[in-house]
Amino acid sequence: MRRPGLALAALLLAACSLVLAACSGTAPAGGTPGELTVWIMGDSSARFEQLVRPFVDRTGIRVDPVPVPWDSVDQKFTTAVASGDGPDALQIGLSKLRTFADSGALLTLDDRTLREHPGLAAANFLDGVSPGGDPVSVPWVADTRVLFYRRDILTGQGLDEPPRTWDEVRAYARILAGRGGGGYGFHIPQWDSALPVIMTWTMGGRIVDDAGRVDFDTPEFHRAADLYLGFHADRSVPADPDFDQIQGFVSGATPMLVSGPYLAGEVASAAPELDGKWSVAPIPGDATHTSLLAGSNLGVWRSSGNRDAALRLLDYLSQPRTQLTWYELDGQLPTAKAALNDPELTADPLVSVYARQLRDARPLPPVPNWDGETGKALLDALNSVVLTGANRDTALQGLYAATGGTSVN
Amino acid sequence: MKQPLAPYAFIAPAMILLLVFGVLPILVALPVSLTDMNLAGLADWSRIEFAGVANFRELVADDAFWQALTNTGIFALLGVPTVIAVSFAAALLLHRSENRFFRALRAFYFAPAITAIVAVSLVWGYLLNTRFGLVNHLLSTVGLPPARWLGDPVLVKFSVALVAVWRGTGLNIIIFLAALKTIPREYLEAAELDGASGARKIVSIVIPLLRFAFLFVAVTTVIAWLQFFDEPFVLTKGGPLGESTSISLFLYQEGFSAGRFGYAAAGTLVLFLIIAGVTLVQLRGRRFDADR
Repeated sequence: MRRPGLALAALLLAACSLVLAACSGTAPAGGTPGELTVWIMGDSSARFEQLVRPFVDRTGIRVDPVPVPWDSVDQKFTTAVASGDGPDALQIGLSKLRTFADSGALLTLDDRTLREHPGLAAANFLDGVSPGGDPVSVPWVADTRVLFYRRDILTGQGLDEPPRTWDEVRAYARILAGRGGGGYGFHIPQWDSALPVIMTWTMGGRIVDDAGRVDFDTPEFHRAADLYLGFHADRSVPADPDFDQIQGFVSGATPMLVSGPYLAGEVASAAPELDGKWSVAPIPGDATHTSLLAGSNLGVWRSSGNRDAALRLLDYLSQPRTQLTWYELDGQLPTAKAALNDPELTADPLVSVYARQLRDARPLPPVPNWDGETGKALLDALNSVVLTGANRDTALQGLYAATGGTSVN
Repeated sequence: MKQPLAPYAFIAPAMILLLVFGVLPILVALPVSLTDMNLAGLADWSRIEFAGVANFRELVADDAFWQALTNTGIFALLGVPTVIAVSFAAALLLHRSENRFFRALRAFYFAPAITAIVAVSLVWGYLLNTRFGLVNHLLSTVGLPPARWLGDPVLVKFSVALVAVWRGTGLNIIIFLAALKTIPREYLEAAELDGASGARKIVSIVIPLLRFAFLFVAVTTVIAWLQFFDEPFVLTKGGPLGESTSISLFLYQEGFSAGRFGYAAAGTLVLFLIIAGVTLVQLRGRRFDADR
């Protein structure tokens, strides 16, 4: 009677200690030499494999791309930092760059590290992609925001040219909303914290003062807020937070909106019959036409055992030729200046607008947590007026108070 | 002293799981909540600094925390009575017969509980979409204006709770059904001979005899709703304006999206104390009930 019990207990005890050991043990970082694990955001990893095939053939370094959904990148990164077991190289969305850099998990890419990889020098890339300080990443793909418009619907209302200023956008939107039948003129996604920032920039303002502190209490931001709320007051934009951007554009309910190149791909695949009936134009603006610079960088994991191979991969990916191939494969715009000026790329009328816009584009301020704090506070303040009829001035005072202490340093 | 080891061996797996995934995290959260641990601190422990009760002080002053706490209270008030009432009613109806049709229905009612939450949220998201959703389309056919099911700061609580009730009833129906089967037929037959009506039998015989099932369902349901997470996370991400952010979702956002582990750990301890307190009150209530 006792024997089996004892054996069982011993077995369980052994199993437990195994579990605990697995939890606490630190696995050696990095994979096998000669194989690079690379985190690729979204669902592009299969095409990425295709992109790096020439690199694999030439160098004999195998590349294993791991798809990381945008929604779970924070958790995945946190887990990797906690366990010390990260990839060798990874794609980093610009909005996450500050957090990832602060974590200390990425290799510092100073001049000495990059000496043997001249392709990774900052001068090769678009301005503004590389943040100041010790860089931990190199530019990879660029993204920006432009004005999308349905040419067929606009000309149907006698609007032959896309709007150039925000006043024109608002006037157009009122005309388009007057079509009736549940139609609107413009779309302001309530989750898009970049749009009010772009509005502020194009009014000639900034949201970070000279000392690097976030400051929304400026005349330009006030005008941007009035613009944002004015569209709603005109009832020319849908006020539903769950309004579908692509369906709205394809169905014609919102014939104008501000979005990035990815939307062009979505619209083309959702509604090929609309080909030629829509187009893109530079971001409207009163003082400037400055848009958002988004996109992704590439970094190397500090404790990777394959640093050199990872840097060689980054070098390969930064080549203008590779970046042009990536645009063909995945529709993501290059960050290398030489690639952006390539006539092959800019022959596409949509891309020529993107490329032009990228020359006048800025990243969001590198505050510690844009999405979760500063950007959220901005959206909550504006949308509380839209959704609950809160007082504009009270909402903005709340925004100043919530973001007052935030700094980019 | 020869204590048999077998009983310990048998409870060991459950105990170990409880210790590793239940007790240990709470014990870890306690010291973490007194630090400023963030992503950088996680990578390099020397960068963690002791913060005292600063996290708790910040929690008390954080409007988002109070909003999440209030939302969770509202969710629990909406959800718990509804789940208990609906599952009990459904179990009573399903208990009426054992034929094939009722057995199929039983599986049908259980289906939401085992369907993947992501699929559930996609379908409900489409159904409840303001402009393109089926529900508003049906409303429009009878001449009613569209409602912002997931976009209105007040209505969103009901919509999210509705999906959770729909998902949460399945398991409780099974528990009530199992308990209903334990009621001796003689009691019901005797009541029938005395001329008791159907409602009378339920109130005077079934409900009192199901007291333990009710207690179990009530305790687990209350805990589940205080830890409410899945539905707002996938349906609304806590929006609009944070009006569907539950306390668990708030902690998740602070901990895993913003990387503020110390702050999130402090909030976790507060949530743990709330759940422990509510559960103790419930169990105590049951004891008085039994003594009577």
